[in-house]
Amino acid sequence: MSIFLLLFIDNATAYSSHSSSADTTKHTNNWAVLVCTSRFWFNYRHMANTLSLYRTVKRLGIPDERIILMLADDMACNARNKYPAQVFNNENHRLNLYGDNVEVDYRGYEVTVENFLRVLTGRHETAVPRSKRLLSDEGSHILLYMTGHGGDEFLKFQDSEELQSHDLADAVKQMKEKRRFKELLIMVDTCQAATLFNQLHSPGVLAIGSSMKGENSYSHHLDSDVGVSVVDRFTFYTLAFFERLNMYANASLSSLFTSYDPKTMMSTAYYRTDLYHRRLDEVPVTNFFGSLKMMIERTLIDSDVQDPTSHIKTKDQNCPFTRTMNTFFEKVERIEHPDSLVNYGLILMLPLLMVSVWLSS
Amino acid sequence: MPKTETETPKMKPRPIVRLAIFLISHSLLVCVVCCTAGVLALLLLPLLAKNTYISENALMPGSASSMISNRDISEANRLASDLSGLNFEPQDAAALESRGILTKYMSDLGAEVSYHKFHHKPNQFHPLHFFSSPDSTSSVDNFSCSAQGVNTVGIIRAPRGDGKEAIVLVTPYKFGKSGTAETLSLSIAYTVFSLLSRVTWLAKDIIWLVADSQYGEYAPVEAWLRDYHTPVFTGLGALNADTCIKIDDLYALEQKPIAQTKISDGFRRAGTMAAALIFKVADRNELLEDTLNIYAEASNGQMPNLDLINIVNYLAVHRQGLRVKVEKVLSLLDSRWLEILGEIFEVLGKVARSLNPGWKFGISAADYVEGSATLASSLYNQALGIPTGPHGAFRDFQVDAITLEISPKVSSHNKARHNEFLLRGGRLVEGVVRSINNLLEKFHQSFFLYMLTSPSKFVSVGVYMIAFALLVAPLPLVAASLYADANQLDLGVKNTKSTTTAPDELDITFRSWKWLYAAKEVFLVHVWGAAVSLLPYFICQIPNCSPTSSSVIWVSLSMLGLLILYLIAGSPSTHVSISQHEEKGEWAILKSVTISAVFIGLLLMSVVNFATAEIGALLLVPMCLMAQPLKLDMKAGKFRSLFRVICNMVLGFVAFPPAAYFVAKTLFEGSDSINMGDFWNWMESLWAWNSATYIYIGMVHLPCWALCLHILLHSC
Repeated sequence: MSIFLLLFIDNATAYSSHSSSADTTKHTNNWAVLVCTSRFWFNYRHMANTLSLYRTVKRLGIPDERIILMLADDMACNARNKYPAQVFNNENHRLNLYGDNVEVDYRGYEVTVENFLRVLTGRHETAVPRSKRLLSDEGSHILLYMTGHGGDEFLKFQDSEELQSHDLADAVKQMKEKRRFKELLIMVDTCQAATLFNQLHSPGVLAIGSSMKGENSYSHHLDSDVGVSVVDRFTFYTLAFFERLNMYANASLSSLFTSYDPKTMMSTAYYRTDLYHRRLDEVPVTNFFGSLKMMIERTLIDSDVQDPTSHIKTKDQNCPFTRTMNTFFEKVERIEHPDSLVNYGLILMLPLLMVSVWLSS
Repeated sequence: MPKTETETPKMKPRPIVRLAIFLISHSLLVCVVCCTAGVLALLLLPLLAKNTYISENALMPGSASSMISNRDISEANRLASDLSGLNFEPQDAAALESRGILTKYMSDLGAEVSYHKFHHKPNQFHPLHFFSSPDSTSSVDNFSCSAQGVNTVGIIRAPRGDGKEAIVLVTPYKFGKSGTAETLSLSIAYTVFSLLSRVTWLAKDIIWLVADSQYGEYAPVEAWLRDYHTPVFTGLGALNADTCIKIDDLYALEQKPIAQTKISDGFRRAGTMAAALIFKVADRNELLEDTLNIYAEASNGQMPNLDLINIVNYLAVHRQGLRVKVEKVLSLLDSRWLEILGEIFEVLGKVARSLNPGWKFGISAADYVEGSATLASSLYNQALGIPTGPHGAFRDFQVDAITLEISPKVSSHNKARHNEFLLRGGRLVEGVVRSINNLLEKFHQSFFLYMLTSPSKFVSVGVYMIAFALLVAPLPLVAASLYADANQLDLGVKNTKSTTTAPDELDITFRSWKWLYAAKEVFLVHVWGAAVSLLPYFICQIPNCSPTSSSVIWVSLSMLGLLILYLIAGSPSTHVSISQHEEKGEWAILKSVTISAVFIGLLLMSVVNFATAEIGALLLVPMCLMAQPLKLDMKAGKFRSLFRVICNMVLGFVAFPPAAYFVAKTLFEGSDSINMGDFWNWMESLWAWNSATYIYIGMVHLPCWALCLHILLHSC
């Protein structure tokens, strides 16, 4: 009996180690999906929130082609905007968030629940261009940031539809099954944001929301020049945290999560870690908010790069032909000046040509 | 078990039917309880008032800082001094000149300026024009060139707006004979207009209408609005209108060749109106501080969206530090009984709070009196159905509008004080415009049906309906109970008679249709009421008739009509010779039908104008319920019957429309200025403004009063 039990446990551990193969897959790249779900002029701050985060992740090294930016309305060109074509997230107006190099992938009425779920799950129509798709793989780390008006287990999109916590959980589950991410950080700045995570149960998902159930998320301050609130508290303090960092910084996620002060935020930031297997104080924020390239530069470069080549070498020992070919290729690769090699070749061709002409004549 | 089943084959009536039967059988008690509760609920309304709140998220009043600069103010001052410099010239010339100056200033700001010519026609009684939309064809009728006004309209196009919506600013102004107050209101408007011509945040066009108020403030605005909303496909109307102004125009052209260049002769339009603000500076001065009076009631008790009042109130109180007032019935403020009532409610509130701290409905006695006075004024103005200012014209086109009347503190000719006043007024208007500019749709979030008990407190329709519902609830019950009683009376008679004579088939059908006679009678009286309300149309035709004699003619003609009606049609009830016993039931059936008619009339009126129905119900319901032939009570001779006789007499007197008018007038304004002609003037104003209250008085109230009187004097 005991043996049987032991066997069973052994089996189980073996199975679990097999299933957690996702954990062992390499971290290949970083993606960000940034969504502002509300329209209308008085929701200016939601667009400013999203654009601020867009700017931050770009600054920390995620390139534009790996950022899906969804903005439900165009505040910059709203007739009520005192500063046409500009968006600010602070009343000092020092930083225009809507500069030249902002690539909005989904704008206006394109921002729907359907499109959002399509982006996450990757079920697009064939005509959708690559720039509008989330082309992540099983080694991707994805940051999903959403802001707008939320409630108990839902998030309002535009003025007409809602994304429910079930929809989100379902989409994340599909993503997991389609191996579209390795780790996913969901960051939500809405009222009762925590309720949106209730149905999540896919491993590798980390979620943080601006407020608990029954709490409102508040705007940080009002720009009396523009006449609207320009940023929400949660996002404001997130940005303040990142302003101190550069792309090589080593701050951990736990330091970000503990930086939220319920008193200044007037709501309690909630984070859900039970689906995430790494210790938060060991995970740098750039794991989600920065790009992999920078991380590689920062961490052990040699081991990571040399590992695959050694793997190939051990594989090559069996066939003499491939061995010679390999040595040849290696020699070819070792040539430092391919241009001069080509030139020498051409010069060698000349006497050959002369000999052949002389022979034929 | 099976036995009982066979015994009760008759189905038990459904609970609702049983409830109705129960209520009908106890109708007297229900009457007393409901009527008392109805009156009490009305008195409780100031307590139940809620604080106003801004319901529409998009408005965001006061979130933007004001941008009015000293430059705008000095420009406005320059305009004011230019205009007041003309006051010494002859009137016509000054009018032209001042219009030219205004036009020049407006077009210098980059606004599109146009003139709108209109013909003032005095209000006439059109029996068929009630409820009809403002008519464009009537303006092309015969007019005289003398009664002509010219509005000046300036339009600023929103630089990046879609041009589909507009905000209207209106300042009434008498060209050529303006006072300082009017010039001041023009200065405020110019300050705002000057600012708005520079700003980049406009999403709606701004229309500034300087209404030529020499024929009153309402007429020019109404004429302009009518033309704004009436597309002219032929040039006929414009041609017609131009015949008069030609000479003037030439004169103006000579005078101001530069100013005229930008003026288009066509009618300029912007988009749909989102809201309109009429503002003027009052002539009178306040002792303590700058005060803002808000007028909101439009025709037939329609109100603008509460959000519009909210933003004005919020900005005036919290941003500009103005004292905001709405109209009150002043005489109620120092009425003793209201104060006592307030104190009672205060004590009750305190007791309730000591029992449970969560109950917070008590307000102080002073607040209660204040609230009731405001509520009474709100109720009266809505019931009257006459707009309290030019904003009424906008409401007829479904545009939310209010009139703001700013009265400055004791006028000092102090320059700094003057500029500060301009700044305050300008900032208030700017703030409201900016807030409305943020709006994405029409005002729709907040209430349309409400009454104000203070500028920041309101009673919504859900609450004030209760008082009315309680008042009218007993009517159908009593009607049903009376009808049932009358029929049972017949049955009782029949049973006793059945021993002697067999019941006649014809007789039974006769009896069951007996109410038709009563209905005929009621119908005839209503026809009489309609005729009475049409009489003024003919009385108006009598030349040189003073209001007093008009009203005397009206009353005597009405009485004559009633007499003739009685002589012709009063006989049928005697024609049908029914036995003596059934005569007893006759007045009951008549009363039952009368009450039904009143019930229907009141309900219909409550849909058209709730306040009228409420006041009407207060007068009619007790009278209808009380009415009983005086002879019967006299015969009984008991104390209770005597009491009823007195009540009936008093109610019968008070419910007579002219009597009610004079009683109310003496109560609220004192008894020194009672004149028979006043009633005529009051009624004239009602029909001139197409108020539904007029129809109500003629077609519901007066017939009901006549019928009740008929019941009181019934010979049984």
